[in-house]
Amino acid sequence: MEREQDESIEESNTENNETEDVDEFEGDETSRDVVVPGEVLSEDTTNFLPGRGTIFNKDRTKIISLNIGLKQIQRNYINVIPLRGFYTPRPGDKIIALVTDKNPVKYRCDINSKEEGILKPKNTVKRGKPRGFRGGAPDRDDNSTEKYEIGDILIVKVLSADRLNSPELTTVGKYLGKRRDGLVISIDPPKIPRVIGRSGSMIKMLKNLTNCNIFVTQNGRIWLKGENISHERLLIDAIRKIEKEAHTVGLTDRMSKYIENEKMKRGIN
Amino acid sequence: MPLIIKDEYPEKLFREDGKRLDGRDKHELRPIKMEVGVLENADGSAYLEWGNNKIYAAVYGPREVHPHHLAKPDRGILRVFYRMATFSVFDRKRPAPGRREKEISMVITDCLEPVLFLELYPGTSFEVFINVMDADGGTRCACTTVAALALADAGVPMKSLVTAVAMGKIDGELITDLSGIEDKAGEADLPCAMTWFNEELSLLQFDGKMDLEEFSKCLTLGKEALTKIHEIQLDTLKKKYIEIQEELKGGENEQ
Repeated sequence: MEREQDESIEESNTENNETEDVDEFEGDETSRDVVVPGEVLSEDTTNFLPGRGTIFNKDRTKIISLNIGLKQIQRNYINVIPLRGFYTPRPGDKIIALVTDKNPVKYRCDINSKEEGILKPKNTVKRGKPRGFRGGAPDRDDNSTEKYEIGDILIVKVLSADRLNSPELTTVGKYLGKRRDGLVISIDPPKIPRVIGRSGSMIKMLKNLTNCNIFVTQNGRIWLKGENISHERLLIDAIRKIEKEAHTVGLTDRMSKYIENEKMKRGIN
Repeated sequence: MPLIIKDEYPEKLFREDGKRLDGRDKHELRPIKMEVGVLENADGSAYLEWGNNKIYAAVYGPREVHPHHLAKPDRGILRVFYRMATFSVFDRKRPAPGRREKEISMVITDCLEPVLFLELYPGTSFEVFINVMDADGGTRCACTTVAALALADAGVPMKSLVTAVAMGKIDGELITDLSGIEDKAGEADLPCAMTWFNEELSLLQFDGKMDLEEFSKCLTLGKEALTKIHEIQLDTLKKKYIEIQEELKGGENEQ
């Protein structure tokens, strides 16, 4: 009965390590200039090259923005960090998925991207684990989709993703698996790096001040669970405020002040 | 309020003081008001009031194509649905999409496609739903303008925005931005749209009589009008974010 072991036991010490994208948002020379598609960012093409979210025009005389976002200069590259956009799965991302359909061969999961994620039953069970008494017969769960039901919230990892095939998911790994409690909110995926903050500063602050467990994922969904409903409400309000003010300076300090104030107002410790 | 259009049109489309029927100069635009992010559940949305035109646009995507056989394996597709509300014109408009609506949907699709990077999203579709709540001439131009705005608001990578305006000729004079009555009773109309990336024409339709000299003069005048409208588009997109920035700056200074 070992395989019935509940992976969500690990929830109490859930940490967040998804801090790869932070530097993109909080680079040293991030100006807070809002640019829009088609805007000329620079006419100096000898010293600068178009980076992310930018292109040359046809004659290579101008660098043009492709997105609505913030202009950023990194060494000799000009980037635009988008303020609106959609999630594209990349291998290794830990994301929150919702099981929308299942058949005997696979689960289909809504992962907030253009394609549905595929979760095969072989990716839901640990490999090489002794099965039953003294090894015994092959596990039946290996080849059936009985572990999860439609409507379950799962934390999954992306195994493979490219432009042509649907992304493949797995629930085998640390912190992965079904969530039985807590709640999930979703925000704009490009604003996720701001919720995490520079090397996780924002998320640490949120955790300490609201006594909630948070798991922030790259597809714009945030799992959270607090001691009681008032803590959770405060955290949700704070995250909504971060989403609204994602393009401003000094966000972490302002948010900690905001939470302290709100705690006083609402009478929460 | 929609204008009540009688069967017979006025003989003269200019007033005695040389202005147009609605009091505009020859090359004066109607008042334009734009807003982005008006619809909660759409990925991107925009609202436009252009004179008496009132138009909503919503963008969804990239998402899977239904029906599935329309999907292209090598690139994404753009689908535009232009619809007029039953109460948008003087006579009740039948709600089923007619020949005119399908044509305008196609025209707007072709107009917007060059600025998008559809080849980056194979097997998916971007869908733009445009609803004309109130119509008074030049809706295809207004719809193109608002659809580009909604796409930018959704965060779809674009080379530039697209702006459109209708030029025309009434009583032997060239004018900018035709209203409904001038469109019907005038001599010629020339809707044109421009992509600001390389400043190319993306839509050019023509109906009526005009000689070549007038035609090229029309395009020159059109560019001036388009530049004005483009400014409004850019301001609208930025306003949403800059307002929050300035609000916070002001708050800090007070403290």
